Amino acid sequence: MAEADTLTYEAACERIEAIIARLDSGEAGLRETLELCQEGRRLVEFCAAELEAVGRGLEELRLDELVARLEAA
Amino acid sequence: MAERPAGIPGSTLTGPWPVGHYAAALREQLRGFTRVQVFGEVFSFKAGRAKVWFELRDGVGALPCSMWRKDFEALGLEPLADGVQVVAAGGCDYYPGSRTASPAFSFAVGGLRIAGEGDLLAQLERLRRALHAEGLFEPQKRLARRSLPRCLGVVCGEHGKARDDMLAGLRRRGWGGRVVWAFAPVQDRHAAPAITRALQDLAACPEVEAIVVARGGGSLADLFAFCDETLCRTVALLRVPVISSVGHHTDRTLLDDVAAVACSTPTHAAEAAVPLDCVAARRALGQVAVRLDRQARRAIVERARTLARLSRAPAAHVARHRARLHQHLRELRAGARRGIAGGERLTGTRAATLARKAQAASAVRTRGSVRARADAASLDRGAAAGLERRRRDLDRLVRALAAHDPQRTLERGYALVEEPDGAPVSSAAAARAAPDLVVRLHDGRVPVRPHPRVT
Repeated sequence: MAEADTLTYEAACERIEAIIARLDSGEAGLRETLELCQEGRRLVEFCAAELEAVGRGLEELRLDELVARLEAA
Repeated sequence: MAERPAGIPGSTLTGPWPVGHYAAALREQLRGFTRVQVFGEVFSFKAGRAKVWFELRDGVGALPCSMWRKDFEALGLEPLADGVQVVAAGGCDYYPGSRTASPAFSFAVGGLRIAGEGDLLAQLERLRRALHAEGLFEPQKRLARRSLPRCLGVVCGEHGKARDDMLAGLRRRGWGGRVVWAFAPVQDRHAAPAITRALQDLAACPEVEAIVVARGGGSLADLFAFCDETLCRTVALLRVPVISSVGHHTDRTLLDDVAAVACSTPTHAAEAAVPLDCVAARRALGQVAVRLDRQARRAIVERARTLARLSRAPAAHVARHRARLHQHLRELRAGARRGIAGGERLTGTRAATLARKAQAASAVRTRGSVRARADAASLDRGAAAGLERRRRDLDRLVRALAAHDPQRTLERGYALVEEPDGAPVSSAAAARAAPDLVVRLHDGRVPVRPHPRVT
């Protein structure tokens, strides 16, 4: 959970690149391959969620509206 | 002329007067001011068809100035750059305007002299060096910037073009997060404190991940608000990255120096605020997902194939060895056959050779035997003939010898005179010289002594 909190899109992309490179090298054993694929899918889902979060259409807000919203929360 | 309306009830001031009359009176009043020389720094120089306009500024105030274009050109000067210090001689003037034209106040310049570099620019440079020396250009640049922020703060003029450009830039990147606008004046003397406050407020919102300060182009004087020391010090110490997009690429404000990133246009600022091109990222992510799936499937399928191949391997191995053994066997048999046939051929050849040689030897032996016999007979014959010949030769020699034997001569009555030692005396002189002689006859020897008188 701590990992999910601190994970960033850039870090996830970097890790996915490393996973792909490892898989492409053909040196990973079966267990490692499956684990890497599972981790890769998890990271892809995370990245997709991040992209989804900024893909719903641009929302414009004035600063005082945001402040009011934060205070209401 | 419009009818004069009633004045404001209770007002003690004269009038109301028609504004045109008042404007004309004001012009006369202003033109009546003492004409003087003023000095300051030139900003926002513009050349029109008939006049040139600029502002003279210093740290305390400013004066809009105008000059006939022909007068300015007569000075032989280039268009005045921002910050140039000049001395201007002239006096106040006022264009009263009309129903269709705006009024304008200006200091009508009749003479002008360039007095050096402006003080405001020098102050700006000193402040820039001071901030740099304090290391205030660095902290913002060390802040981590998210490549895909969900929420951006933007400080700009509410009705400026920068706002639309920012939005267009963000949409072009396919970004659809939240934009929090903090509108502030971006030009006058209230601008710097308002912008500073807006930045602080935005930075205080935890969800704001980066802040863009955007303003379109303008003269350096217009952009002075973004060189404010308090604003720059505030930005340098904010924990949220600030992206500055003030003026055009030729302008360099102090905010540009302290900000995390300085951009030349709001569009560029949008790209700096969202470094990730979301459209491309979505496409790339789809490809990555496909690639991962393919890798996982391939890892399993390939291993299954390998397993199947391995399970078939022992039988295939035995079959392969059996085939190889059979092949060796066939080769051995063929080799043996070839060896035996070769041996037979060789033996036959050798037997024939031996037979030929035996036959040749037998012929030689027969010939030798015949020759030996012939040689033996020839030898026998030769030996007998030789013996006979030798016998005959011996007889002949015997006879010849007998014919020469002196004894036989002596027997026929002859005598032989010799020395006493047996040496023959063959002359009368020798006989006379010898003291003693011997006469040898066929039946014995008789000593004699020669007589000296017989000659």
